[in-house]
Amino acid sequence: MADTIKLFVNGVEVEVEAGKNLIDAIGAVGIEIPHLCYHPALGADGNCRMCLVGIEDGRPPLVPACKTPAQAGMKVLLDAAHIKKIQRDVMELELINHPTDCPICDQAGECKLQDYYMSYGRPESRMTVPQVQKSKKLDFGCGVVHDQERCVTCGRCVRFCRQITKTGELGIINRTDDARVNIFPGRPLNNRYALNVVDLCPVGAMTSKDFRFKQRVWFLKKAPGICHGCAKGCNITIEHNREKYQDDIIYRFRPRLNPQVNGYFMCDAGRLSYRQENEGRLLEARLSSQIRPLSDVLAACNQEIERAGKIVVLLSPNCSLEQMVAVKTLSAKLGASLSGFSDGYVKAGDGDGYLIQDDKSANRAGLTLLGIDCTQETFEEAVREAQLLINFNNDLTRSYTDSELKKLLKDTKVIAVATHNDRLTAMADIAIPVATSSEYAGCLINCDNILQAFALAVSKNQQPLDIGAIAAKLGSPLQSRAEQFAELRKYISILKDFEADTLPAEGLKLNDSEAANVTA
Amino acid sequence: MGAKVKTMDRKGASFQERLYLIEIFKGMATTFGHFFRNLLDNRKLYVRHYPEVQPEIPVRWRGRHRLTTHADGTVKCVACFMCQTNCPANCIMIEAGERLDGKTEKMPVKFKIDLLECIYCGYCVEACPLDAIRMDTGIFSVTDNNRESFVLELPELLTTPGAFSEEEYKKGGA
Repeated sequence: MADTIKLFVNGVEVEVEAGKNLIDAIGAVGIEIPHLCYHPALGADGNCRMCLVGIEDGRPPLVPACKTPAQAGMKVLLDAAHIKKIQRDVMELELINHPTDCPICDQAGECKLQDYYMSYGRPESRMTVPQVQKSKKLDFGCGVVHDQERCVTCGRCVRFCRQITKTGELGIINRTDDARVNIFPGRPLNNRYALNVVDLCPVGAMTSKDFRFKQRVWFLKKAPGICHGCAKGCNITIEHNREKYQDDIIYRFRPRLNPQVNGYFMCDAGRLSYRQENEGRLLEARLSSQIRPLSDVLAACNQEIERAGKIVVLLSPNCSLEQMVAVKTLSAKLGASLSGFSDGYVKAGDGDGYLIQDDKSANRAGLTLLGIDCTQETFEEAVREAQLLINFNNDLTRSYTDSELKKLLKDTKVIAVATHNDRLTAMADIAIPVATSSEYAGCLINCDNILQAFALAVSKNQQPLDIGAIAAKLGSPLQSRAEQFAELRKYISILKDFEADTLPAEGLKLNDSEAANVTA
Repeated sequence: MGAKVKTMDRKGASFQERLYLIEIFKGMATTFGHFFRNLLDNRKLYVRHYPEVQPEIPVRWRGRHRLTTHADGTVKCVACFMCQTNCPANCIMIEAGERLDGKTEKMPVKFKIDLLECIYCGYCVEACPLDAIRMDTGIFSVTDNNRESFVLELPELLTTPGAFSEEEYKKGGA
């Protein structure tokens, strides 16, 4: 931990981290200073005046806490009558023209204006003149819907577009009660991180078109997760809910703070990748074209494996490390050649040097670390010689066109262990449904060699098995996640200090010697 | 310790009572007395001739639900889910959607109330910020022979009229 200093809040001594402003420093020890415009990623702006506090050392009577660095010996005053009056008055001013349409506002339940009204305000409206009318339901592009009446003109969205994406699509036009956030005429939001303004907006002025009216936020259960959209591995919160008589469904992904990986934000493509967890899933095991119980299909698989002379096992670069070692030991036991060929997952030139990466797979570093061959030549040569291909959820349609694929696999039987009922699964002779990334726990290594663990987030009504469990049923000696993790320790020496569920939340930075510690 | 024990005399121990038949005939006389009196003139019966005669339902009676409408017949509900959130029986299932008639932005696409699960507590009516759901239909008896028909859907909730005038309902304390 960084240096600490001691200061006084309401006469009580607290020890806080040095070098931060008052909101962050005192907030870290659980004392909240209300604020609307300040956000740690966007810096202090000082326009909302909600964070005004008193400092008892001869300074001006009030200072904005967001612009005041915490200093040793400072005497911060939060609960004095005049501070509370300021907070109440600011709330009253914010609410003068607020439409108070909480019943139809998607932000209700996670709205700072609602929260602060309950804890700092509760003023009765004294207005006798009609409210200022502004535009509602403006389509700002990129799936952002703006309501000017709900806006408190804190400028977080404007600063995000200027400082983070550096595209500057948004601005505040006009002054006083006519001030409003708007786009320039004919130039809507056009960047790949635009939906972050929905999270940043402390009120319901910015809402997501995708999430609009889908759920009230207080129904959503939140679980931490890792985005599998690209090699960055952004930390996310998976927000899901099981409605009555329905299945557990994911309604949105939101970024979760991890300074080591993604900071406060994530890209729009990753945010909307929750849809893939819900849609087009393979739900039933299939033998040729007939739907059969999983046990029958697994028995048929084992027969095929015995019958086949040469087998190729193909692994997806999205699998967790545990799944990879399970499949690796399986293929070693079967004497099969193992490949992680997945060139189609790389979209060259798509990355932007911030969060989005060229490589659209979540764990390619894991494949490399486990010493799994990923070259196209070896894979194609092995397939030509083999009678059976066991494909663990590798989307070959990304690497080949349909005709190329048919030509490559014409003499090979295919067992598809797949999450989705897509074209590739339809081509397979046997299909086995497996869990997607929100339905199992595991570890990933991202593009910066940071090992991150994630836990099971969603439990479906009929929870499919994960790839590790399917590998175990097909004969892998590693029967449980604990055994898989123990095997993993042979490859990554630093893991000997940890258990599968005690890995640090911010991730483990693997240094070069560990990443190169390949025994295979 | 402490419960007071009081020994009661046992009735029916006299010789006449122990003969049994005499007491039987006395009881029969009472029963048949009522039977013939009511057979000849049933005006003084203590029971209601239900269902021919319906009970009078007070305004504050919590009967079957309905969704109220604006003057032009459009739904008042904005699908804020307050009733569903407040429902202790978890019997309300709403699906929200976009409203395009300009009244507001949101409206229910589906609104289901499972009457078999409803406990008629009236919390949904209390929670509603728009007076869009009421239990003033005066319907207190819902009968059918399959479970599915007890799930009220949006059209049925909207078309059922209230049993009272607006003034009476407001006077009832709503």
